[in-house]
Amino acid sequence: MTGETDPEGDGGATDRSPLDVANPDEPADDYSLTELLAVTAAREIDDGEMAFIGVGMSLISGVLAKYTHAPRCQLVTESGYVGSRPPGVVQSISDSVLGVDSLVATDQMQIFVDNQRGLFDVGIIGAGQIDKYGNTNSTVVTGAEGTYENPKVRLPGSGGSNDIMTSCGRTIVMMRQRARAFTSELDYVTAPGYLDGPGAREELGFPGGGPETVITDMAVFGFDEETKEMYLRSTHPGIEVEEVREMVQWDLNVADDVGTTPVPTRREVAMLRTIDPTDTVLRDTDRIYEIEFDEWADTMERNWKRLMQMEDDE
Amino acid sequence: MSDTHDKTQTLQTAISDHVPDGASIAFGGMGGRDPEAAAREIIRQEKTGLRVVDDARTTLFDAMVGAGCVDEYVGSWVGTSLISQGHNVRRAVEEGVPKDLTMQDVSNFGSSLMFFAGAMNVPFVPTRSMLGTDIAEHNDDIEVIDDPFGSGEPLAAVPAATPDVAIIHVQQADRYGNAHIYGNTVNDHLKVRAADTTIITCEEVVPSETIAESPELTKIPFYTVDSVVEVPFGSHPWHCYGHYYADLPFYREYGLRSQDYEEFQDWLDEWIVPHEEYLENVGADRLARLEELEQTINGGKI
Repeated sequence: MTGETDPEGDGGATDRSPLDVANPDEPADDYSLTELLAVTAAREIDDGEMAFIGVGMSLISGVLAKYTHAPRCQLVTESGYVGSRPPGVVQSISDSVLGVDSLVATDQMQIFVDNQRGLFDVGIIGAGQIDKYGNTNSTVVTGAEGTYENPKVRLPGSGGSNDIMTSCGRTIVMMRQRARAFTSELDYVTAPGYLDGPGAREELGFPGGGPETVITDMAVFGFDEETKEMYLRSTHPGIEVEEVREMVQWDLNVADDVGTTPVPTRREVAMLRTIDPTDTVLRDTDRIYEIEFDEWADTMERNWKRLMQMEDDE
Repeated sequence: MSDTHDKTQTLQTAISDHVPDGASIAFGGMGGRDPEAAAREIIRQEKTGLRVVDDARTTLFDAMVGAGCVDEYVGSWVGTSLISQGHNVRRAVEEGVPKDLTMQDVSNFGSSLMFFAGAMNVPFVPTRSMLGTDIAEHNDDIEVIDDPFGSGEPLAAVPAATPDVAIIHVQQADRYGNAHIYGNTVNDHLKVRAADTTIITCEEVVPSETIAESPELTKIPFYTVDSVVEVPFGSHPWHCYGHYYADLPFYREYGLRSQDYEEFQDWLDEWIVPHEEYLENVGADRLARLEELEQTINGGKI
């Protein structure tokens, strides 16, 4: 019961630089903090793992991992696809690019049954708010006056995030570090982190290990093994520890050896931009809001062909 | 029950026959193979008081909410797309515009399980999902129980969903309702079994011989189906695996124009029209290009 399949039959090729990039393993000079967020999350997926990913940033990280350091990881999506190698950005959870090279096309019930059985190694989710125990909220922001029924802001809801956090081997949370996102009191607990502290997950019999890493556009956080509290592991280049602490409502612990997040390689940045040529996911630009239909279609198709050719070449 | 007679109808008749005001409905697909044309017909026929019992919903649900068709939603996720929020859903929940929308949250597995329980004809099924969170706390229909066999393990009991109508879009079906689904199935095979009545819309009505050539693709059998409607491009602006790719610039425009309630009324006037007219307005060249795109990635799979 592992993800150690080798459908490509190439033993897991590791030397992948078919994109025309000079010095692909050198650190990139030109990248955004959202690109760093995506690359850092991709690096959390190990080669050969079963990686359960949602829509948007988590999917682009999964696709990036598959095209770079983890060619034998198998992507799992809740709509029913397993093992896809989408040749581009995934717009929605049943995006037909997930049909490309997929090994399994099943239903949502089966995917979550397998998840609850403990068959998936790592999950990646997004969230609107998070607390120090890694519990997340993606359902409602109630504000001072509001309630669940009459919230200040209605967010999209759990999707699969609750199920992934409950049962995946470990979970990576990707978020934008907005004001009040790292809160001392969640308005609503959508997905379970360590709940109210050590032992709580075990008491409820959760199959999964819970949140392991939180990655934002400012920093990377881990969880203390004893206290289960979140701590600062590294800040992104150019971001100071104090700047991160100011964005966190509780008194944030900082690792003794707090470091700087490793920067992306030139290959990773080039691959990310090839996967999402219209900037649909990371949106460092407004390109996706301005592009006309014909140019959008031509751009998508050109890059799909490039990445599918790359698959064929291996 | 639903036997082997010709169940083909027009879209207009299928919706007027099977979707009364106040009905509870589950829609198929999920950001891909969504029955968008059927939902637009529901809006066009000005249905009201609907209860949508579902999983994750995108543009079709947001548009029905903005048009005032829906009073209540039970499900796992609402939005429109990666590049836009569900503005109509937010307006309805936060401001009661055009009217209040009651929300009842479940997780995605929870939504599969409520249809599974409905399809099994049992009151509930248990899961470990949702325990310890506010989903179980705020959803009065979910009960946390102890394992009746005495292990001491807590479980969340997810109640059965038995919607009045399931509306599912597929690639092909015969006139009796045997429906082939290519690619992923999401929860569609469960929704048709949990629902009292099922409408299948499809890209193409095919002879039963074509179904019989690949019976393993028949995820929805005739005996769960009451109505079959041929609706080419019935999922536009979303994908229909093997047929056409999603029209991102179209649903981007939906997202932008639904930000403001007045502007959304103009969008409704422009796009809530009979399906044939809708396709003419999208344009044959554009639809052909979406087919080409899908051929590039999944050509030869149907």
